[in-house]
Amino acid sequence: MNIQDNYQKNRKNIFFSENKDIETHRENLINIFENDRFDKKNNESLKNINLKNFIDFKYKYLIPEETSVINNNHENSYSIVSVNGQCSTFKDDKIEITKILDEDYNDFSKNNIIEKNDHFVNLNSLFLNSGFKIVIKRNNNIKIKISNIVTDDDLTIFQKNNIICQEGSSLSLIEEYENKNNSTSNILNVIKLEKHSQLNHFLIQDNSSNHNLIITSHSSCKKDSTYTQKVYNFSEGYVRNFHYSELIETNSEANLQGIFFLKDNNTSNNKTFVKHSAEDCKSNQVYKGILNDRSKATYFSNTHVDQVAQKTEGYQLSKGILLSDNASYFSKPELKIYADDVKCSHGSTIGPIDENAIFYLRSRGMSKIAATKILISSFINEELSSIDNEQMSEIIQKKLVRYLSKVK
Amino acid sequence: MNSETLDTLSTYSKNKYKYGFITDIDNEKPKKGLNENTIKFISLKKNEPEWMLDWRLKAFSKWKKMKEPKWANLSFPEIDYQDIYYYSAPKGFEKKPKDLSEVDPKLIETYNKLGIPLEEQKVLAGVAVDVVFDSVSVATTYKGELEKLGIIFCSIGEAIQKHPDLIKKYLGSVIPPGDHSFSALNSAVFTDGSFVYIPEGVKCPMELSTYFRINAENTGQFERTLIIADKGSYVSYLEGCTAPKRDDNQLHAANVELIALEDAEIKYSTVQNWYPGDEDGKGGIYNFVTKRGLCAGKNSKISWTQVETGSAITWKYPSCILKGDNSIGEFYSVAITNNFQQADTGTKMTHIGKNTKSKIISKGISLGKSQNTYRGEVSFLRKADKARNYTQCDSLLVGNQCGAHTVPYIDSKNNTAVIEHEASTSKINEDQLYYCRQRGLSHEEAVSLIVNGFCKQVLQELPMEFAVEAQKLVSISLEGSVG
Repeated sequence: MNIQDNYQKNRKNIFFSENKDIETHRENLINIFENDRFDKKNNESLKNINLKNFIDFKYKYLIPEETSVINNNHENSYSIVSVNGQCSTFKDDKIEITKILDEDYNDFSKNNIIEKNDHFVNLNSLFLNSGFKIVIKRNNNIKIKISNIVTDDDLTIFQKNNIICQEGSSLSLIEEYENKNNSTSNILNVIKLEKHSQLNHFLIQDNSSNHNLIITSHSSCKKDSTYTQKVYNFSEGYVRNFHYSELIETNSEANLQGIFFLKDNNTSNNKTFVKHSAEDCKSNQVYKGILNDRSKATYFSNTHVDQVAQKTEGYQLSKGILLSDNASYFSKPELKIYADDVKCSHGSTIGPIDENAIFYLRSRGMSKIAATKILISSFINEELSSIDNEQMSEIIQKKLVRYLSKVK
Repeated sequence: MNSETLDTLSTYSKNKYKYGFITDIDNEKPKKGLNENTIKFISLKKNEPEWMLDWRLKAFSKWKKMKEPKWANLSFPEIDYQDIYYYSAPKGFEKKPKDLSEVDPKLIETYNKLGIPLEEQKVLAGVAVDVVFDSVSVATTYKGELEKLGIIFCSIGEAIQKHPDLIKKYLGSVIPPGDHSFSALNSAVFTDGSFVYIPEGVKCPMELSTYFRINAENTGQFERTLIIADKGSYVSYLEGCTAPKRDDNQLHAANVELIALEDAEIKYSTVQNWYPGDEDGKGGIYNFVTKRGLCAGKNSKISWTQVETGSAITWKYPSCILKGDNSIGEFYSVAITNNFQQADTGTKMTHIGKNTKSKIISKGISLGKSQNTYRGEVSFLRKADKARNYTQCDSLLVGNQCGAHTVPYIDSKNNTAVIEHEASTSKINEDQLYYCRQRGLSHEEAVSLIVNGFCKQVLQELPMEFAVEAQKLVSISLEGSVG
């Protein structure tokens, strides 16, 4: 079934289908699909993907029977269970959780840094069927944990979340994706940081091999705000992590980090994009990948510095370890710089585990497997030891041990 | 940016292109435009055998179905292929002159103005020169000495006549005519260029050199160069370019193919200083070059060195296919862009064989309102065990209206291959400037010194014959603007 028919057939289940502006926007999106023909060669976002699964899909969505829970277990600490992308409304003097509204959709459709031919984002806008909005009120320091649950098989979830950190607020957000059913989640997070705010965003992805996760985020930072994102991908199914960040006012900072652990036939596509549109901003993009068996990964990173963005510091680093003959890794670290007073750099390495290091450990009586495992742990140790949340670091250690147990 | 830099920038922007002059020589041209008749005309003029004409026509039919590659970070008006002359030869060159005295004295004068008099080169430098003026080879020197060693160094037109076996075997083997639209175009209408064959075990005793020069208005220059180094041989080839000042954009789409067999080494150096357009971005050469080397045999080596200072548009990716085991590919590049120049240049290293190594050093300097892009691809295929790559690309920005971009593609399919890539972008270090100024250097001298240091890693790779010229070019390019 083509996308247009699919859309028309399921229109009544899709958010905002009665809004005229949104409808025109969606018609444009359908035109993009019709004209583009999914030319894999000229569209880097489609590399290594089995397109058929995502374009010829069967639309199915269930409104969750049991509305999700919001728990205020400690002061300033909340845990949210989002079921099929939906979440019940909640309000106190610190945070506010509501459904997403027409205006949020329109707001996002005006963004200009996500490529027009990023089909997954377009599919998300077209088939939108869930999502919520979290507002952190002024000068609050909050911790939130969100568990994302998909209830049934064959669901196609198109979710759009808005997260707004008001002036002076600070948020530590942990999102967990651990699903075992045969479904597809296409999630778009739109994050806004106002003056002096701060967001530490952790994403733990650990789905089974038949669950596909497509996650895109777009963050914009105002004066003196900091956005830090850490992605840990242990999934056995396909995961796409595309994260865009815009530094729109001075002295803001964006850190996009990620580690992925791949094995078997798994594929993962990753992209980070930082756009510097103001002076004195900083950015860091660091991705590390470990690839075993026949796994494949791509990583595109991009730093764009506008002409006005003097005194920019932008760094990129990409590192990959290939553990097997059949694994492959593609990286494209890009710099686009239009201002002269900048410090920007990127580094990229791909290779096996250092043989000399293995030799050193073996000469001290370690088996080859033990040596390999130690070296993999040390490869990502810097990222793991920088996690200041104890609970988080425990969870990740456990998952790492599980991954290492399969390494031979 | 301080006012001093602004001052020097504006003085520079008034400097005129030093080599901008035109020699009036009657040209013999076919009608404008590209069609089968044009190709037949070229083929007839060059007195080519029929298989060559067929080859051209095949390439032409492929070209008709193709579109220009669009991925480069360049913007320029659509090229009207029907508004270009595809062949121009100075009159009376149907029969080649036997020595320099038979050559049009005006031609000789042109070269004198460029500072490379043929006579002097012949006697002093000991370089054999195969000069391309417009499209016909004018004079070839030192041929005798090379012939003694069995080295073939002639124009490609002559090679088609005299060495059809080699041409049939190797022409288009590295760059297939259907590779992309510029290679197809070149294959269809190429007029001249050089052909080099180094026989087994011969080390070419001198640097082979060709001076390309575009003259006649609206004449696209389509050279085709083919260099074959047989087993165990060595050759160093120099290519240099400067063009007279013109207002109309001139199209240039050259193809260069290198083939290194077992244990052979080819070193290919280019200094490119074509007319870059004036300070308003008017005119200048469009340079779409395909250069590709094939390390076909074991232990072979191909090394590209380029200094790019000219052209309104540079679209150039000298690349290496490392097919033989233990083969080595190298790429050293300095690209300087000023005013409205746009350069999108880099390399492509494809590792196929075991233990193959490649090294990429690229330095980009952007001034004025120019855009300078490094675009490179390094790929390790499945069987490239223990392959190794090191890439370094640095960019320097002078002024706040220019842009520097780095777009590397890195692809590894082998878990024993190691790849390292690093890049940085910055402006001239204030501390270094301060240090130099403190020791009595003027602002200009200081910047020149720092920029020369920035490029040194690449310039020192050039052969002696070129090193002097290249250093001059770098300082000319910076003159008035920074140093």
